[in-house]
Amino acid sequence: MKRVLNDFRPFLGLFCASTGRKLLGGAALAALTGLMGMALLGLSGWFITATALAGLVPATAWAFDVFMPSAAIRLFALGRTAARYGERLVTHDATLGLLAALRGRLFRGWSAPGAARALAMRPARLLFRLTADVDALDTVYLRVLVPLGTTLVATLAAGIALAFISPALGVAVFAVLMLTGTFVAGITARSATPATLRRAARIETLRARVIDLASGQTDLLMAGRIPAQRAALAEVDARLAADDHRLNRIEARAGLAHGLLAAVLPALVLVAAAAIAAGGHIGAPGVALALLITMAATEPFAALRRGALDFARARLAARRTGPALLCAAFPVGAEPAPGLAAELHHVTLRHDAALAPILRDLSLSVREGEHIALIGPSGVGKTSVIQCLAGDLPPTAGSVRVTATARLTQRTELFRDGLRENLRLGAPMASDAQMMAVLAQAGLESIIHALPSGLDTELGDGGQGLSGGQARRLALARLMLRDVPLWLLDEPTEGLDGETARDVLARLRHAAGNRATITATHIRREAEDADRLLILGDGGIKASHIRGSPGFEAALNDLRPD
Amino acid sequence: MPRQTRNDHMAQKADRPDIADLLPTMAALAWLPQAALLAVAIAAVAKGAALVEIAGFAALAAILGILRALISSASERASFLGAREAVTGLRNAAVLALASRSPLDATRTASGEAASMIAEQAESITPWLARFGPTRIKAVVIPLAIFLTILPLSWAAALVLLIALPVIPVFMALIGWRAQAASKAQLVEVGAMNAFLLDRLRGLATIRGLGAVDRVAERVDEEAQSLRVRTMAVLRIAFMTSAVLELFAALGVAMVAVYVGFHLLGDLDFGAWGGKLGLAQGMFILLLAPAFFEPMRELSAIWHDKAAGQAAHENLLRLAQEGHRLPEAGQASAPVPADRPAIGPSVVVRGLTFDHTGPDRLFPDGLGFTVSHGEHVALLGPSGAGKTTILSLIAGLAMPKAGRIEVFGQELRPETVLHLRARMAWIGQNPHIFAGSLAANVTLGRSGIDDDTIARALAALRLDHVARARGSAPIGEGGAGLSGGEALRLALARIAVTPQAELILADEPTAHLDPVTAGEITDALLRLAQGRTLIVATHDPRLAVRMDRSIRLAPLAGRAAA
Repeated sequence: MKRVLNDFRPFLGLFCASTGRKLLGGAALAALTGLMGMALLGLSGWFITATALAGLVPATAWAFDVFMPSAAIRLFALGRTAARYGERLVTHDATLGLLAALRGRLFRGWSAPGAARALAMRPARLLFRLTADVDALDTVYLRVLVPLGTTLVATLAAGIALAFISPALGVAVFAVLMLTGTFVAGITARSATPATLRRAARIETLRARVIDLASGQTDLLMAGRIPAQRAALAEVDARLAADDHRLNRIEARAGLAHGLLAAVLPALVLVAAAAIAAGGHIGAPGVALALLITMAATEPFAALRRGALDFARARLAARRTGPALLCAAFPVGAEPAPGLAAELHHVTLRHDAALAPILRDLSLSVREGEHIALIGPSGVGKTSVIQCLAGDLPPTAGSVRVTATARLTQRTELFRDGLRENLRLGAPMASDAQMMAVLAQAGLESIIHALPSGLDTELGDGGQGLSGGQARRLALARLMLRDVPLWLLDEPTEGLDGETARDVLARLRHAAGNRATITATHIRREAEDADRLLILGDGGIKASHIRGSPGFEAALNDLRPD
Repeated sequence: MPRQTRNDHMAQKADRPDIADLLPTMAALAWLPQAALLAVAIAAVAKGAALVEIAGFAALAAILGILRALISSASERASFLGAREAVTGLRNAAVLALASRSPLDATRTASGEAASMIAEQAESITPWLARFGPTRIKAVVIPLAIFLTILPLSWAAALVLLIALPVIPVFMALIGWRAQAASKAQLVEVGAMNAFLLDRLRGLATIRGLGAVDRVAERVDEEAQSLRVRTMAVLRIAFMTSAVLELFAALGVAMVAVYVGFHLLGDLDFGAWGGKLGLAQGMFILLLAPAFFEPMRELSAIWHDKAAGQAAHENLLRLAQEGHRLPEAGQASAPVPADRPAIGPSVVVRGLTFDHTGPDRLFPDGLGFTVSHGEHVALLGPSGAGKTTILSLIAGLAMPKAGRIEVFGQELRPETVLHLRARMAWIGQNPHIFAGSLAANVTLGRSGIDDDTIARALAALRLDHVARARGSAPIGEGGAGLSGGEALRLALARIAVTPQAELILADEPTAHLDPVTAGEITDALLRLAQGRTLIVATHDPRLAVRMDRSIRLAPLAGRAAA
């Protein structure tokens, strides 16, 4: 129980902080709805029985106060409808508010350096998991907490009402309902846990195998493995089906338990109340009231079983999203010594604690305004240095001091948003004129002018709607808007044809002005204007060539011509 | 075709009742005698009958209740089994279609989208198929049965219910019509919100690199809050539907209770066909009144299941529809012709035209060339000239519209394709890395490849350090953590373990690689191709020059010059 609470703590913290009052209000309205329903049924039963008895004798019939009960019945009927409508509005509004807060908080959590890199390593699977987890947390309030509250209130109310007839009966009914309800929900949640957790993993496997089939179809075809891949997929589905069967059996069993309770308990209460009536304490109307209230009190339990069944999935989601929810502010890095843009001292970088370091004992000072090109074959650690300087890859040893940076990633990353919003990402205050200026610098001016909506043009996912070259230029324009002393450029003109690339590089150099730049590259044109070439290899800096030195030209000649 | 009829069957599953669909209705009908027994028991209490008599009625009622619970639980299992089996059928059909679609088909569903349809979307089909049909039958049968039961007792009470019930569908139709359109738009919006978050998470490196984390987090908050506001506008309408239902159900019960009460008092002495209701009849009518509305409430509760389930069902059926299929698809089993000694040319292409990928014929004049056994040939040409298409046609991934291809002296035909393909190997420019270990990525599950062979292949391609670092751990999704060069070496290792592949087809293997890595890959490819025939599609002159000869494709002239 304590562990369960611990798993949910970050989520519950957010829960209370965001829309706690609304959430409680919703639960209260849900309970009120249940109570009104119970009162409507109970009072109707009492009323019919009482009127039947009174109707037998004309004198009592005439004296019977019909106004109060019939008005109350109508009130409960209308009140229940209103409470139900209110409940649904408030609970859904509260849930959506909670989900909104959850998404925002998760985004902040995921943008922590370590989390961001984990996301980059296996994006599709993690993103899928993230969406599934948010959906699962959605059920905590609506399917677990609200039905739990409603059930508790209904049980308590039934117990109290019956206690007026006989304290022992009230306590007994309350105890039976509570014990059975808790027991069934507990057993359901517990026995559903293994299958629920397996399912969550197997759905991910199913996804991965479909992606393997669709993306790796040619490889599978040529290796004659298509039938095997289909068989593997069918097997995952068969296992999923086995889990589904198990869960359905558990659900059906919980349903059966509630059905049995609803069949047996009212009958027992009826007999008990009849016995009390035989003693003369209550009349037949009281017996009818007891019967109908008990019947109404067993109803909310049905809603609990879905929640009990989904509980393990929600807990898994709470456990997985917890760290991101708790994430504190990121530490602000130290500034480098005056005159320098970045300093690395004996830095070791590794992508995975289990793997050998990519670079070790790396020391490097970048002067203000200096242009450095990092070269070396792929996989040697060029991007890792850029990631380290951008704060995405904290060193496992050594120290990093770096000024404010702006980074151009190797893959062009544009967002589904307006062109203006995309440009303003790094410079929220940029004016339209400034934006047009950098677009011109990036050689995009004529293209933007040709767009009917200009800066208001909406881009699709990942900047869809632009060609690869245009997208790259737009990313460069966005970088140019960012006025910081150090630009980190990871293969800035990859994917552009030679002529365009040279044009863009010239503009970039002009825009850089007094800023320092560090460019990771394997193309000659991107390195030839550097002040210093750093050749990475064997886990460190293999050679360093200052512009004008003989090694500089030789190193350039080893790079890809265009 | 059997698959087709199966789909039709599944599409109609929700429309055609079978025994499992009728069970919940039978369970609900058992409430009639159960309610009668309880009503009679209350009347017995009022008459001061012996406790044994009352207990007898209660026991019978309890037994009926137990029976109901058992039938409900059994029916829940039965409908689930049928529905889950249908989902397996739908998944298998979609997977089969994915597996037999030609890789050259440009209209293929993107792998991520297909994965989403087959994995998580398909999940929503089971509850819809399992519950919708039975509930709909119940919604028709139960109100009618209750109406016909009450009518002989009291036409007035039956009339109240009769008026209340038809009003419900009318109102629901009026409101639901508006709500459905709104909720469809809503589904799209929630999808858009998730897409928004995923889009930003994918570009997290850039967002961090531009110092825009806070700004984007605020945008996520804003978007989520505005989604909440828009969703609530939709829900307010949607909840009106159920509020109307609730209102009439509650008013129906209340009016029946009040009418019966006044009637029993003698104030309203009409409505019982001239007679007078007793307490037992009155209580019976009251107990049936809520059950009269119950199926309608259930139906409205699963309306959401229906929307999601139907959409997922349509998606899967669409996925299973046939696009351009592989030549061998639909072939019963591959006849295995007698092995011929590999003499004469490996590949002969004559009069080839192909118009699968676009509106224009790629080779209007027909393309022809011959590649001898053991020869290494480069297919040179600018992008769009059809290099990949030719390699795919030789691999039998599609059939040419006109012309003829012979491989190992046999014409490529749907019947021979599987047999001939078994003697070829393929390497693409972005090899797909499968979910699994490095070794599993080499064997792709092919039998007869022992660990030594794998280790030798990995060592020969200098992947042994990766193998040591990763062990049997899965390599990252989509090969994250492997550099581009390592991914290609892995693809080459797949060929290294298949000595039976006499013809290697390589599609731009050195594109996207730096010169050093490209050189290494070229060397490794040539080592592997010793004694085998090799056809390389490329625009890398350094790779082409290492081949025995080049075949140059002009963009549109469509002539091959040896």
